[in-house]
Amino acid sequence: MNHLTITNLSKTYSNGVQALKNVSLEIPTGMFGLLGPNGAGKSTLMRTIATLQEADEGTIALGGLDVLTQKAEVRRLLGYLPQEFGLYPKMSAEVLLDHLAVLKGLTNRKERKAVVQALLHKTNLYDVRKKNLGGYSGGMKQRFGIAQALLANPKLIIVDEPTAGLDPAERNRFHNLLSELGENTIVILSTHIVDDVKELCTNMAIINQGKVLLTGNPLETIEQVEGKVYRKTIEKNELAEYKEEYMIISERLLLGKPIIHILSENEPGDGFEPVEADLSDVYFAQIFSEPSNSLVHS
Amino acid sequence: MLFEIFKFEIKYRAKRPDTYIYFVALFLYSIVAVDFLFEGELDPLKRNAPIVIARTMGIVSALFMMITSMIMGVSVLRDFDHQMESLMFINPIKKRDYLLGRFLGSFAVLIFIFSGLLFGMVLGDLMPWLDPDKMLPFNFWHYLQPFLYLILPTLFFGGAIFFVSGALSRKLIVVYTQGFFFLVVYLLAINLARNSDDLFLTALLEPFTFQTVRITTQFWTVVERNSLMLPMDGVLLYNRLTWMAVGIIALVIGHYGFSFHVIKGKALKKQLKASSHDQNIAIQHSNSIQIPTFNVHYSILANIRQLMQQALFTFKSIIKEVPFWTIVLCGIGILLISSFNLGTFFGVDSYPTTYILVGELVELTIIFFLSIIVFYSGELVWKERDVKVSGIHDALPISDFTNLAGKFIGLVLTYAILILAMILAGIIFQTSKGYYHYELDVYFTGFFVEVFPFLFLLAILCFFIQSLVNHKFIGHLVVVIFIFSATILLKVLGLDHGLYTFGGADLGRYSDMNGYGHFIEPYLWFKVYWIAISIVLFIIAIIFSIRGTETRFITRWKLSKPRLNRSLLRLGVVVVIIFTLSGCYIFYNTNILNGYATQATQNAYRADYEKKLKHFEYLPQPKIVDVNLTLELYPYERDYSVEGYYVLTNTHSMPIDEIHIQKLPNDQVALEYLNFDRGARFNNEYEEYGYKIFEFNKALQPGDSVKVAFKQTYTTTGFTESSNTHIVYNGTFFDNFHFPTLGYLEDIALEDDDVRKEHGLNPKIRRAKIDDPIAVLSGRSDGDGEEINFEMIIGTDSGQIAIAPGYLQKEWVEGDRKYFHYKMDKPMSNFYSVVSARYEVMRDQWTPAHDSLGNPVNLEIYYHRGHEYNLDRMMKGMKKSLDYFSKHFSPYQYRQMRILETPGYKERAQSFPNTVPFSESLGFILDIDDEHDVDMAFYVTAHEMAHQWWGHQVNPANVQGMSMLSETLAQYSALMVLKQESSEEKIRRFLKTQMNRYLKGRSRERIREMPLALVESGQQYIHYDKGLLNLNAFQDYVSEDSVNIALRRFIRDWDSFHGRKKRKTDRYPTTKDLMGYFRDVTPDSLQYVIEDLFETITLYEFKTTEAIYEKYSKDQYEVNMTLEAMKYRADSNGLESSIGVNDWVDIGIYAEGGNGKDELIYLEKHKITDEVTSLEIVVDQKPTKAGIDPLNKLIDRNTDDNIQTVSEKE
Repeated sequence: MNHLTITNLSKTYSNGVQALKNVSLEIPTGMFGLLGPNGAGKSTLMRTIATLQEADEGTIALGGLDVLTQKAEVRRLLGYLPQEFGLYPKMSAEVLLDHLAVLKGLTNRKERKAVVQALLHKTNLYDVRKKNLGGYSGGMKQRFGIAQALLANPKLIIVDEPTAGLDPAERNRFHNLLSELGENTIVILSTHIVDDVKELCTNMAIINQGKVLLTGNPLETIEQVEGKVYRKTIEKNELAEYKEEYMIISERLLLGKPIIHILSENEPGDGFEPVEADLSDVYFAQIFSEPSNSLVHS
Repeated sequence: MLFEIFKFEIKYRAKRPDTYIYFVALFLYSIVAVDFLFEGELDPLKRNAPIVIARTMGIVSALFMMITSMIMGVSVLRDFDHQMESLMFINPIKKRDYLLGRFLGSFAVLIFIFSGLLFGMVLGDLMPWLDPDKMLPFNFWHYLQPFLYLILPTLFFGGAIFFVSGALSRKLIVVYTQGFFFLVVYLLAINLARNSDDLFLTALLEPFTFQTVRITTQFWTVVERNSLMLPMDGVLLYNRLTWMAVGIIALVIGHYGFSFHVIKGKALKKQLKASSHDQNIAIQHSNSIQIPTFNVHYSILANIRQLMQQALFTFKSIIKEVPFWTIVLCGIGILLISSFNLGTFFGVDSYPTTYILVGELVELTIIFFLSIIVFYSGELVWKERDVKVSGIHDALPISDFTNLAGKFIGLVLTYAILILAMILAGIIFQTSKGYYHYELDVYFTGFFVEVFPFLFLLAILCFFIQSLVNHKFIGHLVVVIFIFSATILLKVLGLDHGLYTFGGADLGRYSDMNGYGHFIEPYLWFKVYWIAISIVLFIIAIIFSIRGTETRFITRWKLSKPRLNRSLLRLGVVVVIIFTLSGCYIFYNTNILNGYATQATQNAYRADYEKKLKHFEYLPQPKIVDVNLTLELYPYERDYSVEGYYVLTNTHSMPIDEIHIQKLPNDQVALEYLNFDRGARFNNEYEEYGYKIFEFNKALQPGDSVKVAFKQTYTTTGFTESSNTHIVYNGTFFDNFHFPTLGYLEDIALEDDDVRKEHGLNPKIRRAKIDDPIAVLSGRSDGDGEEINFEMIIGTDSGQIAIAPGYLQKEWVEGDRKYFHYKMDKPMSNFYSVVSARYEVMRDQWTPAHDSLGNPVNLEIYYHRGHEYNLDRMMKGMKKSLDYFSKHFSPYQYRQMRILETPGYKERAQSFPNTVPFSESLGFILDIDDEHDVDMAFYVTAHEMAHQWWGHQVNPANVQGMSMLSETLAQYSALMVLKQESSEEKIRRFLKTQMNRYLKGRSRERIREMPLALVESGQQYIHYDKGLLNLNAFQDYVSEDSVNIALRRFIRDWDSFHGRKKRKTDRYPTTKDLMGYFRDVTPDSLQYVIEDLFETITLYEFKTTEAIYEKYSKDQYEVNMTLEAMKYRADSNGLESSIGVNDWVDIGIYAEGGNGKDELIYLEKHKITDEVTSLEIVVDQKPTKAGIDPLNKLIDRNTDDNIQTVSEKE
């Protein structure tokens, strides 16, 4: 029960876009980060694991369960927070959470009430539990999403891009909530934000254009590029030149001037200085080494 | 800029597939729209008559109003919905250009879509299989004209309203629902208008004009309907202008109301936000919170709890929603403003009995129930996806069944609650009318047994369609089209078995006497069968419902197999077994135990009957002269057996070799034996038609008699779908046509000329010609023998009383059965009834006023307990009729008269010798207010009493004009009795109703309107309505006494039993004879009225164009009137032509009377000889109104302009 095994999973949409290409992943208990740019196929993968989408090929096994066919059984173990979701605007958090709890199998009224109250406290929604969901801010909505995902002790929690669009304080709060989860449970967190993974995950995979580019422990993956990352502040008009010459893995602006990171086995010289590698360097190194096709919107 | 936006809109729409879907839907529907909308009612109109085209277009445009909303409503909304508004409005566009451009662009697209209607109808009328006899030559203008004049304005105002409401509300839900609501409210308005008297207002305000067209053309003759195009003037023109103006006003409002800003309203709704300080404290706290332990349940019980949770959740969310309350409030509004049609009969309401009230409540609100189902089935299937909570919801560990079934139960619960509310409303209504006999069981059955299963089935069907179609709006459209088509399509195809007509047949009519009787058993079986099928559909809906992101049908198909889990499969197997078994059981009952034949089969049988046997029609047969029968009736088994004999006499001058016996062609009827008391050989050549020929060994000589003894049984086994209502638990009523008759039976032959044509038969002769020498030899019994001696013993259940004509000889009990022996002491018509029910009896006596020594007449009313309301009125009706008729026509021939209440299956009363079965729905429960209402219980009683003379003393020959001698004379006689009891005002209103009925009736005549004296069968509007009017006019011309003298002489000579002339001839009287008596009492100057009133179809057109007065002194006023008078004569084809007027016509002047109402102060007949006449009349009061034929004694299509307010001369 404590392993999610994805084997050779492929999915092509009816409009011809291939969202997953032969994806294989081994996901153990704990917090697993699925990192990738928008359109990489993360949500497709997450929905497929969450029994909401079919795959063309491949299998997903959760312990002894076949996720693609034993959907009912999998749903009993599942907590799912979709990437984009809405809530009934004219209903209070308490009522909706209670309703979802019954549908999750908490049919004992007393127990259910206690659980709902506790989760509302935990997600810090208790004070606004009687307010209509239509008035909730983005962060509150996401917290409600987590509250419902946690109902009924899930063994597999899937949270799809939960921090997208949250302000830094909300994101922080959200990380705190997530950090508690990963102990006995498989938690899959998909995100395009490197810091989410850095702060929370014990294992991760980088995915782009439907393919898994890299899997492993974040720290170990950093080690792979340790000592190979160099940095230089350049002028804007030089950027094109550098792009031809070096493999630039990231560029950002500092005080209006581009700072570029490159990946190099050897000391490049030319004013480059070595920097301590970061997870984002790993990520960008993986993403940009791929031939760049048009981005797919997932 | 405007043009750019216009072009953009069209380009956008041109790329959208739904534009073409709508076009194609309209196009296809329009091809067959005429067949659907007029199903069989078209005759005598041509399929492509201009007004048929116009009305069809009107109705289709109303039905498809939803499309207008979908196209026009979204054109602005789209920008908001796709959050494009910021991008759009930032451009330098003027508001006017933006709105007008969008409007015109969408409107152009809308016209394109609705051109599908135009071309569809054109194509529909060009189909090669159409009968060319039913078509006019093709003329494209007949289609284009109504499209331009009627449909374009409709689209314009509808489009404008929907466009503006979509733009102003900016809510998709408004767009989705407004077209639908518009249709619903409209249908209801139509319903109301039907009861309204103000036709002009209805015609003016009706947005889709098909009522307007109907009203404008209501008195057009068939010829006019088949040739004229709609005149674009008068009320039709005003109507169109009014609605165009509404459209323009809507656009103006839209322009000023539309805010050209991104954010509607002032500020964003304030969102909840806790301060970050609180949050941080809370976080510290929250990490320490432990989730208490709990158990997760997956047991059956837990599943049931989840199902109930889902149902309640759905229910609560429905009743919180605005559209739901909009629908409910519309329903309440309709109930409040509509005048209930409480079994209204000539303007008189019935008491608000529960069944009538339930029927009315259902009729007025059913559309709302249907709306809730159609609308909310879509909403519920889309509930999670609409708010995007589906991602969470779909991953929940509930079964697909719990999800959909929970929603379904929630919806069903909603209308269970609504029904309970309606029951409460009904009880309040009854209480407010002072009626306290609440029959809760009838309420329950009327709603939950009669209506609810259909709603249930329909809801499942809607869920099924919505799940499969997976497009909310197209789903709605499919449902609506399905409802309109499925029922009608099968009807058009002549397929009517409840095993394949959706939902099975309705529960039959409720009767206070017989309850739901034997209808309930088959009804419930059919419902079990259909509910089983519907559950199969529901299972399909479940396994095809969307869960997750896969929406392609092929994927859903693949997914459906694993989703059909064990419990669903088990449920499926169970319902398929129930479905199969109940289907088999129904089939066994309806098709094996009982014969079932489709309409087509029955028609073929009847056609064959005629083809094979018609040549026997005039074969000389002996006449029945004695009837002696013993009938054992088992009402609760719905069986009878009858045994006894007829004596037949050869009244012809030639010997008779063979005798032909017709058994009732009904599988339940069997002839166990039939023997003659002389040697006869049975020839079974036509046995399949129940037609038996017996060839005598020795011919029956003229004057000789033969006795035929027989035993017939009627046996009910199992059930049929729509079964016989003659022999029922309580209220059995049938007549002698159930028993063997002689020779070819015209009643079996096909009636409808179209069907006859399909079977290669000539149009039916509705009555033999008035001078047909053979036909005049038979009367109402069609030659089987007109005058008989009658004796009958009836045994029935001991709780019931059985009645047949004749005097009760003896009454006794044998076990649990009760016997009645009736015998007539002198010959009577060969027309007798058998009635049996649990009765109460009211008794009275009448003694002839002018002859106190004469025989008293026993009067009895056998009635259902609880129906005591009008017994006194009926009793009085009998007495007053006996007074009048015995004084003016001839003495009453019997010593008794009985009225017998019968169940409402037949809404009529019928007169048998001294016996009148009288429907419970007709007079027994009328709530007659003597202040305003015509006493219809009294009138109908008088009419039936009159038949004891006109029918049972004079038996008219079975030729043209027959019904004038029976029905028209009965109408006249009843009116004369009523006049003694009723105010003139009431009589005038009553006659006006008859006038409208006549004019409407003639405009619907399918074959040929006949003059009154030549009236044929099936022309009620002539012999009842016109007959009453014209006899009233006749007695007004020649005086009541003169008419009565003529009638007295007519009876004296033509009484069937001892009439002076009848005794000398075998023939029966015709209207030719009656006209002779009429002419004798008519002065020469008025002889022309006999021709006008009886022998031809004559109509008048009277109008007062000017009326002024000049005051000479306090009591001398000179009134000057200008009058127009036209006289028309219709030929046999309905072509009317003006003939010169040279008639005596009433001229009337009104003045204000004592009670503030106008009173006639002058009423004289003037000879009108010119089309325009000026008259000066001096009266002694200040005149208020004046005019020609003020009391509408003569037939006039437009009676409103007969009188005018008189103004003072300037």
